[in-house]
Amino acid sequence: MVAVKLIPHILSWAGIVLVLLRGFPGRRSVVTLTSISGFVIGVVGTFTLFRSFPGTVVFGIVTSALGVVFLLIWGISVASIYRSTGRGVTFLWVERLVNTSLCAGMVAAIAGVVAGAVGICRLPVTDKTVLGLSLLVPASGAVAYAVAYATLAIEKRLPKSFAVSPYGMPTAVAALLLFSSSSILRLDLFSPLSMKVMKFAHDFVHQFMESMLIPDHVFIQSYLWRYIGLLFGKEIGFWGGLFIWFTPALLVLLAGQFERLPPVAHIRQGAQRRKILAAAIRERRFRLVIPLISLLFFVAAAYQSRFPSVEYWDPKPIVVTATSSGEIIIPKKGEVDLEDGKLHKFLFNRGGKDARFFVLMGPAGQLTVDLDACAICKPDGYGQADGTVICYYCKTLIPLETVGKPGGCNPVPITFAEKDDGVHIDALTLINEWGNTVQSTSKIKEGGK
Amino acid sequence: MVESIIETNGLTRSYGDICALKPLDLQVPEGEWLSVMGHSGSGKSTLMNLVGGLDRPTAGSLRVGGEDLLALSEDGLARFRREFVGIIFQQHHMVPYLTAVENVMLAQYFHSVPDEAEARSALERVGLGHRLKNRPGELSGGEQQRVCIARAIINSPKLLLGDEPTGNLDHKSTVMVMELLKELRAEERFTVIMVTHNQDVAAWGDRTIYLDDGVLVREERMKS
Repeated sequence: MVAVKLIPHILSWAGIVLVLLRGFPGRRSVVTLTSISGFVIGVVGTFTLFRSFPGTVVFGIVTSALGVVFLLIWGISVASIYRSTGRGVTFLWVERLVNTSLCAGMVAAIAGVVAGAVGICRLPVTDKTVLGLSLLVPASGAVAYAVAYATLAIEKRLPKSFAVSPYGMPTAVAALLLFSSSSILRLDLFSPLSMKVMKFAHDFVHQFMESMLIPDHVFIQSYLWRYIGLLFGKEIGFWGGLFIWFTPALLVLLAGQFERLPPVAHIRQGAQRRKILAAAIRERRFRLVIPLISLLFFVAAAYQSRFPSVEYWDPKPIVVTATSSGEIIIPKKGEVDLEDGKLHKFLFNRGGKDARFFVLMGPAGQLTVDLDACAICKPDGYGQADGTVICYYCKTLIPLETVGKPGGCNPVPITFAEKDDGVHIDALTLINEWGNTVQSTSKIKEGGK
Repeated sequence: MVESIIETNGLTRSYGDICALKPLDLQVPEGEWLSVMGHSGSGKSTLMNLVGGLDRPTAGSLRVGGEDLLALSEDGLARFRREFVGIIFQQHHMVPYLTAVENVMLAQYFHSVPDEAEARSALERVGLGHRLKNRPGELSGGEQQRVCIARAIINSPKLLLGDEPTGNLDHKSTVMVMELLKELRAEERFTVIMVTHNQDVAAWGDRTIYLDDGVLVREERMKS
């Protein structure tokens, strides 16, 4: 089962090695060696981090590394489009650096480290012993070697025309890394990106419009608020996220399309002139293949993020009632086992008003009682998967370690008492807390953050 | 010493039991204008098709421009035809709904990329600057053949093959076309192989070979 989970990651890794081999022609041995070493270092390094720090920290580090890769691709894509405008900008030292073994080795090693780190995050790291570590080194080395060997054989059989441009290569590497990581909930970059865009749009619109509309401006008047609601929908985050997500690959594609053809005006014979142009156009077309494939991987990554294949644990709420003293008592080992580490949902009704909440035992063995809603989003509730709970509305992942703490998109914690017979919750507090929370978050039509 | 652009050794082409071209040894020096004469069914067009890479021999060897045509794949042969050969047929074989200039550009397209300015200039070169936008049906027989010449030379071939290109033309048009070919050959220095029934047309060449029933029976060098 674990091996099956790793297949997409190994295939992505093979794709990365293939692109690197083509992207650095003539540096096969350097690329092979450094990519294998990088992969093993990535696996072992991340494993060691898992041993030393809580999982949230390690996931945070790997996600940050992926974020840096994405930012780098943004920079590279902007440089590529700028260069294609032909404004006489030449980065000769950069071009010289790109063609060195040092650059090939560094890129392959970095890609290897990140790919290895992503791969190990897919595995449930339960055996954190030195023995586990000593087994991991040869295992990851064997995988990396087998992938490199197979990829090398494939690369040699590919037609020469299947060229990878200096801009297409990093784009493809990033696309494959992000595709690989998007299947791991806690490494997914697209959902947080969408969320940030949504938050930025909301904050910006709020600040800007408020300062411009109150009091009525000569040109911008307060009736505009009617239309501004569009910018407060959660879709703004999704579409804005998509724009940021796809732009690098699109820019590299466009840069390839705009690439200037070689000067041929000095060639006297028309047929010869046209032949050179046709060859250049054909080459340019082939160089678009890699950015196009990268774009497809970006699409696949966004799709995986939007529609994760992970099944969330989302139990049907159990209806509970309060005692005559106004307490809701849920036994620890009753209809459900509150201490099994799973999220258990409950529904309380008083006077026609529902309040949904859940009880969960965190990794530290502490019970927590929280509303099935946060103070920001519409109360779509939470699901549980892979050491996190997820807000169904904004897709924010909340590590189990932080559930029970207030703020952000965390579920709103409820005061409770843990006694021998179970968990005691004050019904009035619960219903009031739910009412206040839901009332405030429902103010924003189709709103979010 | 002028190098041979075409070298055949025992070149044979059979269609079932019928041997259209019997073992033929032939050398054509670069830049020569070779006329091929013979009756219908003597193997003239078969020879031209083989030399132009339009057909494959049954036996023997065939080298054109240093390329062993028997060793070439279908793609290789297509590339050879595209880059090395220009052909003018008796029928114009133009696309009827394209204009003269578009028909020439079509040849450029299959070779590399179209270039309208160059196609226009090629048509002007054959004296059809005023017929650029006319379709084949709006051109006379002589004009159609001149478009075919422009189309054949647009990709700067090393070898120009003519399969009775003046067969449908009157005397005046024939002379005009032959003069044009002579002029272009002097400028471009391509080799010409011209299949014809007409002794007068053959006389434009440097040398004439006669085929009969697939066999080279006679060879005649023209006086310059």
